[in-house]
Amino acid sequence: MYASKRYLIIAWLFVLPALLIRFFTTVYPIFETFRVSFFNVNLLRGINEFVGFQNYINIFQDPKMITSIKFTVIFVVGSMIGHIVLGVGLAVILNVKMAGQKVLRTIVLLPWAMPMVVIAIASKWAFNNDYGIVNDFIRWFNPGFNLDWLVHTETAWLAVIAVDLWKDVPFFAILVLAGLQFISTDMYEAAKIDGAGPIQTFFKITLPLISKNILILSIFFTMWRLTSFDIVYAMTSGGPGEDTALIAYRITTEAFTNLNTGYAASIAIVLFIVMAILSGLSMYGAKKVNY
Amino acid sequence: MYPKTVKEKNYDIPVAEPRRVPLWAKKALMQFFKWTPALAVGFLIMFPLWWIFVSSITPSGELFSKPIKYWPENPTLESYRYLIENADLLKKVWDTLLIVGLSILIGMVVSVLAAFSFARFKSRGLSLAVAFLLGSMLIPDVVTARPLYDFLRQVGLYDTYTGLIILYISSIIPFSILILQNFLNDIPASIEEAALIDGCGFFQSLFYVTLPILKPAIATVCIVNFILCLNNFFTPLFYSNGISVLSTAITQLPLRDNMYAVPWDLVSAMGFIIILPIIIFVSIFQRQIMEGIMSGGVKG
Repeated sequence: MYASKRYLIIAWLFVLPALLIRFFTTVYPIFETFRVSFFNVNLLRGINEFVGFQNYINIFQDPKMITSIKFTVIFVVGSMIGHIVLGVGLAVILNVKMAGQKVLRTIVLLPWAMPMVVIAIASKWAFNNDYGIVNDFIRWFNPGFNLDWLVHTETAWLAVIAVDLWKDVPFFAILVLAGLQFISTDMYEAAKIDGAGPIQTFFKITLPLISKNILILSIFFTMWRLTSFDIVYAMTSGGPGEDTALIAYRITTEAFTNLNTGYAASIAIVLFIVMAILSGLSMYGAKKVNY
Repeated sequence: MYPKTVKEKNYDIPVAEPRRVPLWAKKALMQFFKWTPALAVGFLIMFPLWWIFVSSITPSGELFSKPIKYWPENPTLESYRYLIENADLLKKVWDTLLIVGLSILIGMVVSVLAAFSFARFKSRGLSLAVAFLLGSMLIPDVVTARPLYDFLRQVGLYDTYTGLIILYISSIIPFSILILQNFLNDIPASIEEAALIDGCGFFQSLFYVTLPILKPAIATVCIVNFILCLNNFFTPLFYSNGISVLSTAITQLPLRDNMYAVPWDLVSAMGFIIILPIIIFVSIFQRQIMEGIMSGGVKG
């Protein structure tokens, strides 16, 4: 019915606005980023010259970049381990049939539904030594506790990861829950009849059945962690020093504060390539996993 | 649990185990294991939110107390009054609602039309267009930020409502199209064909046949988009300056006579103004949000 030529023109007219908007807001700018990455642009000094791969070489000699890469790796790996362990645990809790299930699911949606900036900026206060909620909570159990979390490098790392987990583990758990609900109850009944305990059931039935689901989720969550920006912008401003400056934060600082747009573009392109390779490899891996 | 069996002369005889733990204790233990984790999770999420609320109605002088008071002794709305008078709060709320509302409305029209085309018409070009849209989802904000900023300045869209709305729309359409298209794929095109044969015009059939069927999907997508737009921080931060929505406003609060870098009294009030509507909204639309999240990768 819809096959005629006339309808195809309508179809293209319908699709056109979406294509145009996406073209001008994502595709055109990324080509521009690519082009600029070969130039030494410094708006402050009014320089704009072609330098080939110089920007790319500079990345790996810039101590600030090394720090950024180091923390980004720690942040992504640490946060993802937390996401998988806590997320699966929370999904199991959410899947338990109980009276308050609906209320609990609503509560769990809240961190996802709130802007990261609000949480990050509140965290700045929450991790304050004297008046923060975190230390206050620890002092319920250990009255003499004193620690200024965001002043020391390692504890600042921990704090940033903890806040990221608070915000996004519930979301991860809800997506895992979607996978859990596909497991038929017959499986669990069969396991019960065969004498499997709850722990055995979890590791031998639940986990293998949702592992592919978790793998695919982890790919997306890793990509989002790699481009995380709000959290350090509002919580630590990259501090102490530059120790919590995630790569995304570094890019925007170079591009908008230091006005090294060429250099910023080269970092952005490297980040993009790394993300493309990582997601390509893990998609390929996910296809190989079969249960 | 099923009773253990003992093999004896080829007969399976069920043997009742002596019950060491009484039944009521076992049940109580089960309830304990069910409720403790649930309550712990609820506490971990709600307690910080409660703390933000209490801080926002505590007089700013009393915030510097150790240990923290989780029940305000002299509750006051002073911080809120200050925000309305000095931080232009009402204008920001209005700007936010205007930008988010228009973005969702226009974004929805654009998405429904595109999803309809992708679901109903097949051609090689259209398949390429779908691939293009999905591929463009992989391009992160930070990678395109600076050139996009320069581009917006060149065409005069920087720091304008139009510019922001276009960017907000751009951020929500790939996901919306994906969900709507999946939904449309499940509706047989024969319903629309029947309408066409009965003498309906093309647009009539789109409006009176397809759209009503799409209603639940549209509602779900709108609800999720509302939250995504409200939480968008990157776009207003880099592509506007004078126009300030709630998510960026919280980072640019005026410093009252406060020796600390974060004016916590104002930040907590501003934070709670953002959080409260979200709590209410999520409570009302819990089911739709869950559906929306589960049916497609929504960025958090």
